[in-house]
Amino acid sequence: MSGAELRLGAVSYHPRVVTIWERFRTYFADAGVPTDYVLFSNYERLVDAVLEGTVDIGWNTNTAYVVLDHRAGGGTRILGMRDVDRDWGTVLVMRKGESLDSPTELAGRVLALGSRDSGHAAILPLHYLAEEGLDAAEQCRLLRFDTDLGKHGDTGDSELHVVRAVAAGEADAGALSDVYFSAFRAEGVPEVADLEVVWRSPTYYHCNFTALDSLDDEVCRRWSDAVLAMDFDDPSLRPAMELESVRRWYPGDRDGYASLTAAMQEQSMLT
Amino acid sequence: MSTGPEQEPSHRVDAEQLEFGGGLEVLLAAALERVAPGGVLEIRTPSRAVALELPGWARIAGHDLIGEAAEQGAQLLRIRRGTKARILAPPLPERGPRPVLRDGELHTADWRRGEEPADPDPSAGFAPLHSVPEAGAPTHHWQLSRRDAVWADDVGELAEQASAQQWDASRDVPWEAARELDDITEKAVAQVMTFLAQNEYAALYVPARFLGQINPQLVELVLWLGSHVHDEARHIEVFTKRSLIGGQHGYALASTELSLHTLLDEHDFTASSLLLNVLGEGTFLDLLRFIELHAPDAATATAARLAHRDERRHVHFGISNIKRAIFLDPDLTLTLVAAAEARAAKLVSLSGLSPLLVESLTVMAAPSLQPAELAEAAADIRHLMATMEGNRIRRLRACGFTATAAQHLSDLHTPNLM
Repeated sequence: MSGAELRLGAVSYHPRVVTIWERFRTYFADAGVPTDYVLFSNYERLVDAVLEGTVDIGWNTNTAYVVLDHRAGGGTRILGMRDVDRDWGTVLVMRKGESLDSPTELAGRVLALGSRDSGHAAILPLHYLAEEGLDAAEQCRLLRFDTDLGKHGDTGDSELHVVRAVAAGEADAGALSDVYFSAFRAEGVPEVADLEVVWRSPTYYHCNFTALDSLDDEVCRRWSDAVLAMDFDDPSLRPAMELESVRRWYPGDRDGYASLTAAMQEQSMLT
Repeated sequence: MSTGPEQEPSHRVDAEQLEFGGGLEVLLAAALERVAPGGVLEIRTPSRAVALELPGWARIAGHDLIGEAAEQGAQLLRIRRGTKARILAPPLPERGPRPVLRDGELHTADWRRGEEPADPDPSAGFAPLHSVPEAGAPTHHWQLSRRDAVWADDVGELAEQASAQQWDASRDVPWEAARELDDITEKAVAQVMTFLAQNEYAALYVPARFLGQINPQLVELVLWLGSHVHDEARHIEVFTKRSLIGGQHGYALASTELSLHTLLDEHDFTASSLLLNVLGEGTFLDLLRFIELHAPDAATATAARLAHRDERRHVHFGISNIKRAIFLDPDLTLTLVAAAEARAAKLVSLSGLSPLLVESLTVMAAPSLQPAELAEAAADIRHLMATMEGNRIRRLRACGFTATAAQHLSDLHTPNLM
């Protein structure tokens, strides 16, 4: 390892993370910004590592980013995000034919949520439903699936539980990310056939590459340029980019994290 | 909904009652195919659920939702088609000319537009004829990739015939007819059938080993070798069944095994074509015809006749393949003669066809131990040997060998016949 090599931390939510980062590692070396990767089992440890300087860049979920930025006193910078991260949405699904005109109609009924550390499947649903006039924590019976804690919903496991619970009638409605719901449908998850989307939230941002402000400006610029130059039409990169669900990288900004920051404050998750 | 020029749809589609998971994805994909990358598609749906699910679908499909509006009980959604192609390959060519039919039949020899490739990419994959391969696929390394190293001009027609002339070793042979022979005749037949089956194993293994080395872009040859392997599997099957049906047993001879072992030692495609197809299977043509004519029962005669029909194709391929190769490179005759000489050198311990086999053929043809009938059968065998040699030389001449070389090659041929 050369002294100039950057260290990037990511969470191993699936074995494919190794495949992705082995390929990206050679890409960054070829692009003149050698970057090794370090895998963590959970985002809390990754956030600690960024703050302690063990890694220079964190590949964070939105929840991890908000915690990191909070703990750094706002002293972070975003070096890039995926195309899919820019317009993320949460949807409510119900059994077909049980549609509702307003989420407030869920008062007194059962609402299934994903892992409590998932921005898209637990934290933001409560926030956005409150904006619609439904205090779900008080007015609904919450059926939470706190699986894979520490992964912030990356595995999709808790959302699969949500879908199954709604299809089985154990919950009246369920919250999950629009992307996961569409992916479950494309994969042929049988329970999805019985469900439909009845509400969707405003959009927000999801993952990003985060560094502390203390990382050298020129290094950040060169690294960010390298990420943005990754080409989906390069046959040697496409498989890894498809595994990472990215067709194109964008510079990213803070704009889309305001709702999650507010939600985490409301839910006393930023201390 | 914004109405700026960049937001204006170039195409519209009405989803009517279609839903996600119920065919809507197919309609959307087909509609987006017609939209240029970066262009806008407007989707009309009466379903609120569809409208709510569409943004997530669009995002994972690589498109952007750029506008939503309600109109007369329907939702209008506009998505900008992503700029990245789903398949990493050039667009498919325009619909082209269709292959000609022969009385309603689509023949393998007629399916190519133009000539087969002379030097296809040796790393090419299993892209079917006239398909467009996607980039990024794993690469292969085909050892037999140059057309001129393996081709025969009529290989497409031969593959066609092979398909048309398939038969069934369980049902197309009158097995009941083989049950009534006396012990001596049946034992002789079992020995002859064992000998045939043993040889057919090598006739299967040789093309099977080459099959996996052929560039799939030379697809007619792949089909041909596949049929050759399949034919030989059926020959092993039918001769084994004929040896079993009478309850007798035969010897798998070491001399035969030695001869076949040397056949598998040859790793050059054209030299194998000479040793197996032209010399070995060619000689077997005469043997099978003899068995068909002199068989003591209809099952044996039928098995020999059906196998003979296949072997004729194999011999034809061998001659066609070598004739083409010698035409392209006349010096190849020297290499081929050297290959035959090298094999013969390994077979110096074989002085003639196994006496056990000669006796079995004689008894089978007699079919008895009566002196007069044995004498007649023995004369027939001598005549068979002469016929084999004459036909071998004729086939070698057809390949393009000189009379001298043809005689020399015939003399070198294994006493085991294959």
